[in-house]
This record gives sequence, structure tokens and C-alpha cells, in this order.
Amino acid sequence: MNNLYKQKHQLWLKIVFASFAINDEAIKSKLYDFSQIAFRHLKWIGSDILKKGDDYNYDRDYKSVEKFTSNHELLNDLKSDIIKIQELYDDSILSKRVITDEAYLLEFIDTLLKTNDQKITAFDMAMKWNDELDEEQTKSLVLFLFEESYKEYELIMVYAYMQARTLNHLHFNVFQDLIDESHFHLKSFGNMLSKLGILTLPRELHEMTYKVKDLDKFVVAGIAEEEAAKEMCKQLSESISNEELSKFFDFINYQENYHIELMKKLL
Amino acid sequence: MFENVQMPDGMNPEVLSHLMSPQNYGKLDDPSCIGVTLDEKTGEYVIFYLKLDGEVIKDVSFATNGCQDTVVIGSMFTSMIKGQTIEFANNSLGKISDKLGVMSKQQELCAELVLNSFVAALINLKNLEDGKKEEMHVIKTTESCEIEENKEESNE
Repeated sequence: MNNLYKQKHQLWLKIVFASFAINDEAIKSKLYDFSQIAFRHLKWIGSDILKKGDDYNYDRDYKSVEKFTSNHELLNDLKSDIIKIQELYDDSILSKRVITDEAYLLEFIDTLLKTNDQKITAFDMAMKWNDELDEEQTKSLVLFLFEESYKEYELIMVYAYMQARTLNHLHFNVFQDLIDESHFHLKSFGNMLSKLGILTLPRELHEMTYKVKDLDKFVVAGIAEEEAAKEMCKQLSESISNEELSKFFDFINYQENYHIELMKKLL
Repeated sequence: MFENVQMPDGMNPEVLSHLMSPQNYGKLDDPSCIGVTLDEKTGEYVIFYLKLDGEVIKDVSFATNGCQDTVVIGSMFTSMIKGQTIEFANNSLGKISDKLGVMSKQQELCAELVLNSFVAALINLKNLEDGKKEEMHVIKTTESCEIEENKEESNE
């Protein structure tokens, strides 16, 4: 299977999880923007591979995120991966675009490495939310975030896999909307896991998950999952004493309503 | 996650560890046999790979699109049986519930999903030994934890 796709998939994950891990809001935001660019690279590289009659899968060697304690440690690791992937690019127009984007990211990282280092708390296992949640509420929040952060990664990748292979314009657009929505949810949940000190990489996707044989069946099951996620958001919103968090879960709950409507368009 | 476990922050450290980094997760190269339990209604599945050296389980792995209870149980069960004999693993089917303690109906179904996929792998092994061509053995179910959860909700 295609090694460039695999390495790019891993690099996208590494950038997006770096953005979750870093506390500084300005660096976090900029790295997240780069992660979105990297995801578009991944989509274009995937499309190019399929056009050439080849294929790719979602296998990963990058199974777990390293528990860095400082920005410089994390950024040096990211820098090393970006440098390593350069040897896999050819001289196509797409590769040139990717190379210039990554050169710009490397410059940004080098600038950060010249500034004062900052502590990373995303892996410290503190499991505290501003000391405002009791044990039961924290436990509910932690379990919800683990379950849903994996689910959002899964949805992004499954919809992207189907989007790359559909010739139906309506389906293509619905997949794009659902991917965009899941990116936002993954970002929200990833940053919350980081705040709790328990940031982890979602587990790898087996091909039985993303090679969908029956779209209707997949959508019907997906709608049931969205309903279950809505219920979890509702329960969390009602049980959590923090008003800001409670409102956030109501907001996510209402978003799931429209996801269901979008998914129905696929039937 | 498990009703009888406690730690200062309301989490069992062993469960949290399996949750944060599941053990023996993913595909296995050149397995001796492969078993799957599949809920056709929800699409939820567990796939189980075994690599054997005679009677000894040299390597084992699993993957699932199921809930985190399924992941934790799969991680714990595969850790228990890796390096052990098939006989030990068969006997461990009962021990896993002792390890997990009191489980909800939903968690019992997650455990069944994992354990049935191990049983399916052994059926696949037997079929291969009997000369049948079978890529993997699939056990179909209609009782994954997600369905049961809905049943429980509708009963309330």
C-alpha cells in the first residue's frame, strides 16, 4: 500500500495532536490551521493515488502520542517528521505545493524553537477541570471524550474514504459537510482531553470499519449512533455543574440533529 | 466504566490504562487464524487474530469499531492469553468476568462480542486444519451492546 499516504496520514495526526497539546493559544491556533492544510494534502494525495489506479489504506505505525513535557521537545519531533517525509515527494505540481507548505511550517517551527520554551500539561494525567467538577462528573466527561474523540476521527476517515470514491455530487457534498463538522468536534474534544491532561491518539482504523459495503446500512447505523451521542451530550449537559461546559454539550447536541438530516440525504 | 471499580478520580487505573493505550490492538501479519463477531444490524464488529506455535498463542491482536468497553475488554483479554496455551485461553473465558467484576448488561454484551470473536478464530483454525478454504470465520449476532442499550432505554 502507498507509503506516502501512510506517512502523510501520520503527519496530519501529529500536527493536529500537537495543536491540541500546546497550551499557548496563538501557537495552538496556527498549528491547527496547518493541520487543516495537511488534511487537504492527504485528500489530494489520496485522489492522485486513485487516479493512477493504485490504492491506499489507513494503516499506521504511529500508534500513540509521545508524552512530551515541553513545546520544544514536541516541535523538534514534529520538525524531524516533516524533514523525513520530504524524500517521498516527486516533482509533480501537487508535490511542489505540499513541499512549499511544509517549508513554511518548518520556518514557523524554527521561529518557535528560538523563543522561550513552555510547559506541556496535556499528558500529566491531572484529570481536573478548573477544580469545578466532582469525581463523578469528571469520570463522565473523561469517558465521553475518549469515546467521542475516537468516533470523530473514525467519521472523518470513513467519510473521506467514501468521498474519494463516489461519483455522486450530492454524496460528495454531504460527506464534505460531515467531515468538516467532525473536524470541529475532534478539535473541541481533543483540546478538552488536553486540558484534562489525558490527551491520547485515537486507535487505528481496521479496514472493516472504513470499507463500507452497504451505504444504506452504514447510514442507518450511523444515525442510531448520532442519536446515542445526542443522548450522551444531553445527559452530560444536565449532570455537569459547570455552566460553560453544560452549554457546550447542548450546542453539540443540537449539531447532531442536523448531522442526522445530512445523513438522511445519503439514503 | 465498571461499576465496582474506584480510584481517587473515579477511574480504575487499569481500565484507564487499557483505554488510553489498548494492548494488542490492530492487524496481525501472517495469523494462524482469524475470527469475527459481527452485528449485522449495527455493523459493530470485533476481529480477532491468533498466531500459534503448536498449542501456544505466540501472538494475538484484535480490532473493533465498538465502544470503549469493548476496547478495554479486548485489551485485557488479549493481554491475559498472549504467550499462554489455547487451553489456558479457553479457561480464561470465564476468568475475564472475574477480572472485570460486576458488569452491566451492556458490558456483558461487549465481553461476549470479544470472547465470541476468539471462539470464531478457533473455529477458523479447525476449519483450516480440516482443509476448508476460509479467510476468517464470522459469527453473526444481533445482540451487540448498542442494541441492548436501546432496549434498556426503551424498557425504562
